[in-house]
Amino acid sequence: MKVLVINAGSSSLKYQLYDMTDESVLAKGLVERIGMDSSILTHKPTGKEEVTEVSDILEHTTAIRKVLEKLVDKEHGVLASIDEIDAVGHRVVHGGEAFKGSALITVEAKSEIRRLFDLAPLHNPACMMGIQAAEANLPNVPQTVVFDTAFHQTMPEKAYLYAIPKVLYKKHKVRRYGFHGTSHEYVSKTAAEFLERKIEDLKIITCHIGNGASLTAVMDGVSVDTSMGMTPLEGLIMGTRSGDLDPAIVPFVMNKEELTINEVNSMLNKHSGLLAISGSSSDMRDITDGMAEGEPNATLAFEMYEYRLRKYIGSYAAAMNGVDVIVFTAGVGENSAIVREKVCENLTYLGVEIDKELNNIRSGDPRRISTPNSKVEVLVVPTNEELVIARDTLRIVQEMK
Amino acid sequence: MKGWSERTMNFKKIGVIGGGTMGQGISEMLAAKGLDVLLVEETTEKLNHAYSMIETSLDKQLEKWAITKAEKKLILNKIHKVTHFAELGTCDMVIETISEDLNAKKEVFKQLDQVCPSNIILASNTSTLSLTEIAGSTMYPERVIGMHFIYPVAKINLVEIIRGLKTSESTFEETKRFVDEVVDKHGIMVYESPGFVTSRIICLMINEALHVLGEGVATAEDIDDAMRIGYQFQYGPLEMADRFGLDSVLAALERMFREFGELKYRPSYVLKKMVRAGSLGVKTGEGFFKYDKDGDRI
Repeated sequence: MKVLVINAGSSSLKYQLYDMTDESVLAKGLVERIGMDSSILTHKPTGKEEVTEVSDILEHTTAIRKVLEKLVDKEHGVLASIDEIDAVGHRVVHGGEAFKGSALITVEAKSEIRRLFDLAPLHNPACMMGIQAAEANLPNVPQTVVFDTAFHQTMPEKAYLYAIPKVLYKKHKVRRYGFHGTSHEYVSKTAAEFLERKIEDLKIITCHIGNGASLTAVMDGVSVDTSMGMTPLEGLIMGTRSGDLDPAIVPFVMNKEELTINEVNSMLNKHSGLLAISGSSSDMRDITDGMAEGEPNATLAFEMYEYRLRKYIGSYAAAMNGVDVIVFTAGVGENSAIVREKVCENLTYLGVEIDKELNNIRSGDPRRISTPNSKVEVLVVPTNEELVIARDTLRIVQEMK
Repeated sequence: MKGWSERTMNFKKIGVIGGGTMGQGISEMLAAKGLDVLLVEETTEKLNHAYSMIETSLDKQLEKWAITKAEKKLILNKIHKVTHFAELGTCDMVIETISEDLNAKKEVFKQLDQVCPSNIILASNTSTLSLTEIAGSTMYPERVIGMHFIYPVAKINLVEIIRGLKTSESTFEETKRFVDEVVDKHGIMVYESPGFVTSRIICLMINEALHVLGEGVATAEDIDDAMRIGYQFQYGPLEMADRFGLDSVLAALERMFREFGELKYRPSYVLKKMVRAGSLGVKTGEGFFKYDKDGDRI
């Protein structure tokens, strides 16, 4: 069984081809600058040399056709024929309340995804283009959708509602949805496997901290709370996003600076976070470098980032009345030993104790960084959202038969 | 219709003729939407000036957090400087934005008609002139249409789409789709008539405000406050006139006065006096109010 995983953006398309007999990646790649002149296709077949091709790719259908050509290419290909692809799995950002799990693409599913354009105007339309493009190229292959929000649909009402007039929830579906669901699900399950414990017996806090960042409280194997809300702006301080702030700041600043809705949105999403405080970079590597050199703004940015993260861990420990496992994942979580160290340094009241040497080891495998004495297991688990999409796709397609 | 493609047009590359205020605004807005823009001016100097004005405008937006540095670069890279009409042959649509001079516009359309394939829509950003007359200079008048953007283009989400007498249904449909879906603004359909909807109504209000001022009923400041606060206009009618340019307001009123022959369009003598004195509003630093070089009220 071979599954093609597609992650479509408005002008890009990432893909990975899995052989699900052993969950190995046969090839992966990326198409950039779709719709602009000289689009770039980068194709990396496993065990062979990477190829880059520049051509005019005006829309997603052509992009997928080019990808398929590469997959069956005599020199760079990994398949004898396109017919070997048994299923296609798509990543979709927003599944709203309609999708509580991954789903087979049907006419109804597509119209539901379209209805959700309102809630994810930047992301869902692009995902839809990817779906239509894959259908056009592979008309008889079953396709599935895997949502960033689905894992969090188990959140109870008390966690997902905002304390604002309920009519806004009824009319416009204003509520918390949470994101990075595929990642939180994958790393929480992998953590339980690593510890050889049943996930139902564990209280887990998963920290997906990359350029976007969110925390999830996982209890009984399901998400009970997560830090992102109706949009990915809520919660932690991120590379260029503010995270939590007093909502009254928005109208206040709009009035004082005469900002439009677009401007204030852009200010909070693209000009805030680490970038705003450091004044120089949104990248945690630059921030920690700056801090090492004693640069005051970088140091402040780091301290604010770490402080917010630690407060959220504390609040989720309170939400679950305890915590057994803390998992770090994604770009910063997997690679920044100093972020992990500083966060854990002040969690001793929970019984957290990390081993500095273990914490400093770099590896692509799930690993423990806490000491045997630690009351809480602290793990680093590299995330793999594509694999979750491939697995869900396999499961759904097998259930069809 | 012969030569008209059955498929809907894929709008990717747009020609903009004229690098004045409207040409700059339209180019910047289209580039920000991800379209390639060929900006045309008569000389390299004018072209460079227009380009640097767009850059200044983007810098202002950067200051207001509306865009990032990377986005600014991306937008500027989408705007290509052109001094020869021949290069417009590959555009999917051309929008003309030169000054409101009928003969000049007719000349531009005559040339565009020869350069652009017959299925390409040629649009004019005219606010008062007759589309039918402009289209008259072309071999294919069915593809000529009015697309009246309102200043500041990036912020005002309304476009008047004006049908000339010979504008075809498909030209209108495609233009409407371009405005609604590609440019993401609200398009309203207007049948050709002097001043269309927006200029006709707003110029009359400005003219009436000038009568009120001339009769000594209220001060300029109070007239503007009355309309701004009382009826939720962003600017009062006099500041609005300053921002449009008093010469433009005068020209529009005179044209409507001539076309309709009705006294209500006769420009107020206050307006004529100001224009003669060279107080044209924001662009000269003084009109009914005073402005700094960024166009802010002093």
